[in-house]
Amino acid sequence: MPKGRILIAKPGLDGHDRGAKYIAHMLRDAGYEVIYSGIRRTPEEIVATAIQEDVHLIGLSVLSGAHNVLFKKVLELLEEKGGGDIKVFGGGTIPARDIPGLQAMGVKAVFTPGASAQSILETVAGLLQ
Amino acid sequence: MRELIQDVRQGSIRAAGRLISLIEDEPSRLPEMLKGAGNWPQPRLALGITGPPGVGKSTLVDGLVQEWRQAQPDWMIGVVAVDPSSAFSGGALLGDRVRMMRHATDPRVFIRSLGNRGHLGGLTLGVRGTLCVLGLLGCQVVLLETVGVGQSEIEVSGVADLTLVMLAPGLGDGIQMIKAGLIETADVLVVNKADRDGADRLTAELKATLRFTQARRHGLPPEIYTTVATQGEGLAELRKGIEARAEKMASLIEERRRNALYEEVRQAILDTARAKLEEELRQAGDLRPQIERLLDGKATIDELVSGLLKANKSRE
Repeated sequence: MPKGRILIAKPGLDGHDRGAKYIAHMLRDAGYEVIYSGIRRTPEEIVATAIQEDVHLIGLSVLSGAHNVLFKKVLELLEEKGGGDIKVFGGGTIPARDIPGLQAMGVKAVFTPGASAQSILETVAGLLQ
Repeated sequence: MRELIQDVRQGSIRAAGRLISLIEDEPSRLPEMLKGAGNWPQPRLALGITGPPGVGKSTLVDGLVQEWRQAQPDWMIGVVAVDPSSAFSGGALLGDRVRMMRHATDPRVFIRSLGNRGHLGGLTLGVRGTLCVLGLLGCQVVLLETVGVGQSEIEVSGVADLTLVMLAPGLGDGIQMIKAGLIETADVLVVNKADRDGADRLTAELKATLRFTQARRHGLPPEIYTTVATQGEGLAELRKGIEARAEKMASLIEERRRNALYEEVRQAILDTARAKLEEELRQAGDLRPQIERLLDGKATIDELVSGLLKANKSRE
């Protein structure tokens, strides 16, 4: 039995998916079922996917700078579509000053460049408990 | 579970996603889910799509969804994509959806990815359960995509009413084609990447092979189509061909569905029995000394099994 189902998604316009793919791979090796969305997804696509796939967790990777808008939209849509219990975490080039705002919005964890694989795995395991 | 079923019947996508998880995690609860479900709606057609990795299955599925949505705008279309789980970690990377994202927000398309979870039994029943949930949600056509290698995948394709086997040039010579397995299960054969070198030759070899193949699951010889899935070429003809074939074989499909469910439940009973037996053997203690005796030629497997079963019975 896998440890949980996680959607790794890239909203917005940047096409740098190395990080997202690395995280997806790492989570797979840690025993999770990972659904990968591909690049340049809209929040609508991401939320519809999360609901059909019945994931426990969504990891959003954003390197475009549009994280405040995109994370907010995903959280709002989740609430609207009955997926308010699906937890959202994120990562990417996100300035430290934006992190408290994202957390206040309901994002459970934010990882910035340099975050260790171990810390991500521990956080994900904690979120799934 | 009753509540979820009620919600799915009323069209809740969220409930459908949850009910599929429930049945995927515990496939043995399928009979419970279906109990007393005399009017459980079923899809008109469950089409299995199988073939070697990289042949273009997800792209074809994406194109066929598009075809059906255009031809039958009122129909809801379901997709079930089964990908392998890691034998080491139990995790899986389910990436078939990447090719189908243009349908992500279409309210009449429901896509679900499943890991095969290491073939530990119940995969077929889990897929059957998913199909039932999609039927309940109102899907008229369900496309079931599996990697077409290995026994369990062939079993999974048995859940479908019709099986489409996909091939592409450049994946092996004519000998691959005479090997038993994949081609025998096909109702429809698709030569994809038909714009590439070798496609004509592959089609010709396929035709020649079929002339000598006696295995016909439905009495009808398989039909061959050629496509360029990335360009949408040949997909309209393929969809029409599949629909016509399903119609022609309607009574056979009906019979197949009944037999298939029976066989799947039987298989699940055997899987459960096997798991129980393994657990009991574990409790009975270390088998090493007995295995040593076997390897020394002092006992046979038959004797050992009889002994174990007897010991088990007397314990009860």
